[in-house]
Amino acid sequence: MKSTGNDIVALGSVDKHRTGQYRFYSKILSASEQTLYQQMQFANLPFEHYLWLLWSVKESTFKFLKRSKPELIFSPAKIIIQYLEIPAMQSMTKMDSYQSEFTGNAEEFYRAKVNFGSDILYSRSKISKDWVATVVNDDERFENVYWGIQATDGTDYYHQSKAARSLLLNKINFFFPGDLTIKKSPIGYPVIMQATEDMKIPASLAHHGRFVTYSFILNLFIELGI
Amino acid sequence: MDRKTILIELKKVLAPYTENKEMLDGINEDTDLIKDLKINSANIVDIIIDAESQYKIEIDFDSAEKMYKVGSCIDVILDKMNQSA
Repeated sequence: MKSTGNDIVALGSVDKHRTGQYRFYSKILSASEQTLYQQMQFANLPFEHYLWLLWSVKESTFKFLKRSKPELIFSPAKIIIQYLEIPAMQSMTKMDSYQSEFTGNAEEFYRAKVNFGSDILYSRSKISKDWVATVVNDDERFENVYWGIQATDGTDYYHQSKAARSLLLNKINFFFPGDLTIKKSPIGYPVIMQATEDMKIPASLAHHGRFVTYSFILNLFIELGI
Repeated sequence: MDRKTILIELKKVLAPYTENKEMLDGINEDTDLIKDLKINSANIVDIIIDAESQYKIEIDFDSAEKMYKVGSCIDVILDKMNQSA
Protein backbone atom coordinates (compact mmCIF):
# COMPACT_ATOMS: atom_id res chain seq x y z
CA MET A 1 0.00 0.00 0.00
CA LYS A 2 1.43 3.41 -0.95
CA SER A 3 1.60 5.82 1.93
CA THR A 4 3.23 9.02 3.09
CA GLY A 5 3.90 10.61 6.47
CA ASN A 6 5.18 13.99 7.54
CA ASP A 7 5.57 16.15 10.62
CA ILE A 8 6.67 19.61 11.71
CA VAL A 9 7.86 20.96 15.07
CA ALA A 10 7.67 24.72 15.65
CA LEU A 11 10.78 25.46 17.69
CA GLY A 12 9.09 28.47 19.31
CA SER A 13 6.35 26.21 20.69
CA VAL A 14 8.52 23.70 22.56
CA ASP A 15 9.98 24.00 26.06
CA LYS A 16 13.71 24.48 25.39
CA HIS A 17 14.68 24.02 29.02
CA ARG A 18 12.87 20.69 29.26
CA THR A 19 14.32 19.44 25.95
CA GLY A 20 17.76 19.19 27.56
CA GLN A 21 16.57 17.17 30.57
CA TYR A 22 17.47 13.47 30.53
CA ARG A 23 14.09 12.34 31.79
CA PHE A 24 12.46 14.18 28.86
CA TYR A 25 14.72 13.20 25.98
CA SER A 26 15.16 9.62 27.19
CA LYS A 27 11.44 9.09 26.52
CA ILE A 28 12.01 10.00 22.86
CA LEU A 29 15.54 8.86 21.99
CA SER A 30 16.74 5.26 22.25
CA ALA A 31 20.11 4.59 23.91
CA SER A 32 21.73 4.20 20.46
CA GLU A 33 20.29 7.54 19.32
CA GLN A 34 21.63 9.26 22.44
CA THR A 35 25.07 7.83 21.61
CA LEU A 36 24.75 8.77 17.93
CA TYR A 37 24.58 12.47 18.87
CA GLN A 38 28.11 12.29 20.28
CA GLN A 39 29.56 11.77 16.77
CA MET A 40 31.72 14.57 15.38
CA GLN A 41 29.46 15.26 12.43
CA PHE A 42 26.79 16.61 14.79
CA ALA A 43 29.14 18.98 16.61
CA ASN A 44 27.41 22.03 15.11
CA LEU A 45 23.87 20.71 15.53
CA PRO A 46 22.26 22.00 18.75
CA PHE A 47 20.83 19.16 20.85
CA GLU A 48 17.39 20.78 20.73
CA HIS A 49 17.46 20.54 16.92
CA TYR A 50 18.72 16.94 17.03
CA LEU A 51 15.98 15.87 19.43
CA TRP A 52 13.12 17.44 17.47
CA LEU A 53 14.62 16.28 14.19
CA LEU A 54 14.49 12.68 15.40
CA TRP A 55 11.03 13.25 16.91
CA SER A 56 9.71 14.49 13.55
CA VAL A 57 11.25 11.48 11.76
CA LYS A 58 9.59 9.13 14.27
CA GLU A 59 6.19 10.85 14.11
CA SER A 60 6.32 10.86 10.28
CA THR A 61 7.21 7.15 10.32
CA PHE A 62 4.27 6.42 12.62
CA LYS A 63 1.90 8.31 10.30
CA PHE A 64 3.26 6.48 7.25
CA LEU A 65 2.80 3.04 8.84
CA LYS A 66 -0.54 3.77 10.55
CA ARG A 67 -2.31 3.75 7.18
CA SER A 68 -1.65 0.01 6.74
CA LYS A 69 -1.50 -0.83 10.47
CA PRO A 70 -4.47 0.96 12.08
CA GLU A 71 -3.78 -0.68 15.45
CA LEU A 72 -0.32 0.96 15.68
CA ILE A 73 0.33 3.13 18.75
CA PHE A 74 2.97 5.86 18.70
CA SER A 75 5.91 4.94 20.86
CA PRO A 76 8.82 7.18 19.82
CA ALA A 77 11.63 5.33 21.59
CA LYS A 78 10.70 2.12 19.73
CA ILE A 79 11.10 3.69 16.28
CA ILE A 80 14.84 3.57 15.74
CA ILE A 81 16.97 5.87 13.58
CA GLN A 82 19.65 3.63 12.03
CA TYR A 83 21.78 6.40 10.58
CA LEU A 84 21.52 10.14 10.11
CA GLU A 85 23.38 12.13 7.47
CA ILE A 86 23.68 15.88 7.63
CA PRO A 87 23.13 18.01 4.50
CA ALA A 88 26.19 18.80 2.39
CA MET A 89 24.72 22.29 1.92
CA GLN A 90 23.52 23.64 5.26
CA SER A 91 21.59 26.85 5.64
CA MET A 92 20.00 28.11 8.81
CA THR A 93 18.39 31.11 7.20
CA LYS A 94 14.89 32.17 8.11
CA MET A 95 12.60 30.12 5.93
CA ASP A 96 8.87 30.75 6.16
CA SER A 97 7.94 28.43 3.35
CA TYR A 98 9.40 25.54 1.42
CA GLN A 99 8.02 23.48 -1.44
CA SER A 100 9.58 20.52 -3.15
CA GLU A 101 8.59 18.11 -5.87
CA PHE A 102 10.28 14.73 -5.61
CA THR A 103 12.10 16.43 -2.71
CA GLY A 104 14.85 17.88 -4.91
CA ASN A 105 18.55 17.29 -4.43
CA ALA A 106 19.13 14.71 -1.69
CA GLU A 107 22.14 16.62 -0.38
CA GLU A 108 19.95 19.52 0.72
CA PHE A 109 18.43 17.41 3.49
CA TYR A 110 19.08 15.65 6.75
CA ARG A 111 18.59 12.03 5.67
CA ALA A 112 17.88 9.08 7.92
CA LYS A 113 17.12 5.39 7.65
CA VAL A 114 14.41 4.38 10.11
CA ASN A 115 13.56 0.98 11.46
CA PHE A 116 10.37 -0.11 13.20
CA GLY A 117 9.98 -3.86 13.60
CA SER A 118 10.42 -5.30 10.10
CA ASP A 119 9.63 -1.97 8.37
CA ILE A 120 12.40 0.20 6.97
CA LEU A 121 11.70 3.77 5.86
CA TYR A 122 13.80 6.73 4.71
CA SER A 123 13.43 10.35 5.77
CA ARG A 124 14.31 13.76 4.46
CA SER A 125 14.23 16.73 6.83
CA LYS A 126 14.91 20.42 6.85
CA ILE A 127 15.73 22.66 9.79
CA SER A 128 15.07 26.38 9.71
CA LYS A 129 15.45 28.94 12.46
CA ASP A 130 11.80 28.40 13.36
CA TRP A 131 10.96 24.78 12.56
CA VAL A 132 12.10 21.21 11.99
CA ALA A 133 10.16 19.33 9.30
CA THR A 134 10.32 15.80 7.91
CA VAL A 135 8.79 13.63 5.23
CA VAL A 136 9.32 9.84 5.07
CA ASN A 137 9.05 7.36 2.23
CA ASP A 138 9.62 3.65 1.65
CA ASP A 139 12.01 4.36 -1.26
CA GLU A 140 15.05 6.51 -0.62
CA ARG A 141 14.84 8.14 -4.08
CA PHE A 142 11.61 9.91 -3.00
CA GLU A 143 10.18 9.77 -6.52
CA ASN A 144 6.67 11.21 -6.79
CA VAL A 145 6.80 12.68 -3.27
CA TYR A 146 5.52 16.25 -2.98
CA TRP A 147 6.20 18.21 0.19
CA GLY A 148 5.38 21.75 1.28
CA ILE A 149 5.67 23.93 4.39
CA GLN A 150 4.14 27.33 5.01
CA ALA A 151 3.85 29.89 7.78
CA THR A 152 0.36 31.11 8.64
CA ASP A 153 -0.92 34.04 10.65
CA GLY A 154 -2.71 32.11 13.40
CA THR A 155 -1.70 29.49 15.93
CA ASP A 156 -5.02 28.12 17.18
CA TYR A 157 -5.79 24.49 16.31
CA TYR A 158 -8.78 25.06 14.04
CA HIS A 159 -7.13 27.85 12.07
CA GLN A 160 -4.03 25.70 11.60
CA SER A 161 -5.97 22.63 10.58
CA LYS A 162 -7.88 24.63 7.96
CA ALA A 163 -4.68 26.25 6.68
CA ALA A 164 -2.95 22.87 6.29
CA ARG A 165 -5.89 21.48 4.30
CA SER A 166 -6.01 24.58 2.12
CA LEU A 167 -2.26 24.37 1.39
CA LEU A 168 -2.61 20.72 0.33
CA LEU A 169 -5.69 21.31 -1.83
CA ASN A 170 -4.12 24.30 -3.58
CA LYS A 171 -1.17 22.15 -4.57
CA ILE A 172 -3.29 19.25 -5.81
CA ASN A 173 -5.59 21.67 -7.65
CA PHE A 174 -2.57 22.60 -9.74
CA PHE A 175 -2.75 19.12 -11.29
CA PHE A 176 -6.49 18.51 -10.93
CA PRO A 177 -8.49 21.75 -11.36
CA GLY A 178 -11.99 21.82 -9.90
CA ASP A 179 -13.68 21.36 -6.58
CA LEU A 180 -11.68 19.08 -4.32
CA THR A 181 -12.38 18.38 -0.67
CA ILE A 182 -10.68 16.53 2.17
CA LYS A 183 -12.36 13.94 4.35
CA LYS A 184 -10.79 12.30 7.36
CA SER A 185 -10.46 8.51 7.28
CA PRO A 186 -11.56 6.57 10.37
CA ILE A 187 -7.84 6.07 11.15
CA GLY A 188 -7.24 9.82 10.92
CA TYR A 189 -5.38 10.42 7.65
CA PRO A 190 -6.68 12.87 5.01
CA VAL A 191 -8.64 11.47 2.06
CA ILE A 192 -8.75 13.73 -1.02
CA MET A 193 -12.12 13.67 -2.74
CA GLN A 194 -13.18 14.80 -6.21
CA ALA A 195 -16.97 15.10 -5.84
CA THR A 196 -17.84 11.77 -4.19
CA GLU A 197 -14.81 9.87 -5.45
CA ASP A 198 -11.70 9.09 -3.41
CA MET A 199 -8.79 10.25 -5.60
CA LYS A 200 -6.52 7.61 -4.02
CA ILE A 201 -3.73 10.14 -3.49
CA PRO A 202 -1.94 9.22 -0.25
CA ALA A 203 -1.54 12.45 1.75
CA SER A 204 -0.41 13.55 5.18
CA LEU A 205 -0.91 16.84 7.04
CA ALA A 206 0.75 18.34 10.10
CA HIS A 207 0.77 21.66 11.91
CA HIS A 208 2.44 23.11 14.98
CA GLY A 209 2.77 26.67 16.21
CA ARG A 210 2.20 28.90 13.19
CA PHE A 211 3.49 26.40 10.62
CA VAL A 212 1.57 23.96 8.43
CA THR A 213 2.85 21.24 6.12
CA TYR A 214 1.66 18.56 3.70
CA SER A 215 3.09 15.62 1.82
CA PHE A 216 1.49 13.52 -0.89
CA ILE A 217 2.39 10.91 -3.49
CA LEU A 218 1.43 11.52 -7.09
CA ASN A 219 2.70 9.62 -10.11
CA LEU A 220 1.88 11.93 -13.02
CA PHE A 221 2.83 9.26 -15.57
CA ILE A 222 -0.02 7.13 -14.31
CA GLU A 223 -2.52 9.77 -13.15
CA LEU A 224 -2.36 12.15 -16.10
CA GLY A 225 -0.74 9.94 -18.74
CA ILE A 226 2.23 12.35 -19.05
CA MET B 1 -6.53 7.70 45.67
CA ASP B 2 -9.62 6.98 43.54
CA ARG B 3 -10.13 7.35 39.79
CA LYS B 4 -12.43 10.37 40.15
CA THR B 5 -9.84 12.32 42.14
CA ILE B 6 -7.12 11.54 39.57
CA LEU B 7 -9.44 12.59 36.73
CA ILE B 8 -10.01 15.98 38.40
CA GLU B 9 -6.27 16.42 38.96
CA LEU B 10 -5.53 15.39 35.37
CA LYS B 11 -7.52 18.40 34.14
CA LYS B 12 -4.85 20.64 35.71
CA VAL B 13 -2.04 18.57 34.16
CA LEU B 14 -3.65 18.74 30.69
CA ALA B 15 -4.73 22.41 30.85
CA PRO B 16 -1.48 24.00 29.56
CA TYR B 17 -1.54 21.80 26.45
CA THR B 18 -5.08 22.22 25.12
CA GLU B 19 -6.95 25.23 23.77
CA ASN B 20 -10.25 23.38 24.05
CA LYS B 21 -11.11 24.45 27.61
CA GLU B 22 -14.79 23.56 27.23
CA MET B 23 -13.95 19.99 26.26
CA LEU B 24 -11.38 19.85 29.08
CA ASP B 25 -14.04 20.80 31.63
CA GLY B 26 -16.18 17.88 30.49
CA ILE B 27 -13.55 15.16 30.07
CA ASN B 28 -14.37 11.58 30.98
CA GLU B 29 -12.37 8.36 30.87
CA ASP B 30 -13.11 7.94 27.15
CA THR B 31 -11.70 11.36 26.15
CA ASP B 32 -8.83 11.02 23.66
CA LEU B 33 -5.97 13.46 24.34
CA ILE B 34 -5.11 14.02 20.68
CA LYS B 35 -8.41 13.47 18.85
CA ASP B 36 -10.73 15.18 21.37
CA LEU B 37 -8.58 17.67 23.26
CA LYS B 38 -6.50 18.44 20.12
CA ILE B 39 -3.28 18.20 22.11
CA ASN B 40 -0.24 18.24 19.83
CA SER B 41 1.57 14.91 19.92
CA ALA B 42 4.81 16.78 20.68
CA ASN B 43 3.26 17.65 24.08
CA ILE B 44 2.43 14.07 25.09
CA VAL B 45 5.90 13.62 26.58
CA ASP B 46 5.37 16.85 28.55
CA ILE B 47 2.16 15.40 29.98
CA ILE B 48 3.91 12.14 30.95
CA ILE B 49 6.70 14.10 32.70
CA ASP B 50 4.14 16.31 34.48
CA ALA B 51 2.20 13.22 35.63
CA GLU B 52 5.45 11.67 36.89
CA SER B 53 6.15 14.79 38.96
CA GLN B 54 2.58 15.13 40.23
CA TYR B 55 2.37 11.53 41.49
CA LYS B 56 6.07 10.87 42.16
CA ILE B 57 6.10 7.88 39.82
CA GLU B 58 8.19 6.73 36.86
CA ILE B 59 6.43 5.87 33.62
CA ASP B 60 8.27 3.45 31.31
CA PHE B 61 7.97 3.23 27.48
CA ASP B 62 5.44 0.40 27.52
CA SER B 63 3.15 2.27 29.92
CA ALA B 64 3.63 5.65 28.22
CA GLU B 65 2.36 4.34 24.90
CA LYS B 66 -0.97 3.45 26.54
CA MET B 67 -1.59 7.04 27.67
CA TYR B 68 -3.70 8.31 24.79
CA LYS B 69 -7.05 8.37 26.60
CA VAL B 70 -7.91 9.86 30.00
CA GLY B 71 -8.98 6.45 31.31
CA SER B 72 -5.75 4.76 30.25
CA CYS B 73 -3.75 7.64 31.83
CA ILE B 74 -5.59 6.92 35.12
CA ASP B 75 -4.86 3.16 34.73
CA VAL B 76 -1.13 3.82 34.32
CA ILE B 77 -0.97 6.36 37.18
CA LEU B 78 -2.78 4.02 39.59
CA ASP B 79 -0.66 1.06 38.52
CA LYS B 80 2.59 2.96 39.07
CA MET B 81 1.37 4.40 42.41
CA ASN B 82 0.56 0.88 43.60
CA GLN B 83 3.98 -0.38 42.49
CA SER B 84 5.77 2.37 44.42
CA ALA B 85 3.57 2.05 47.53
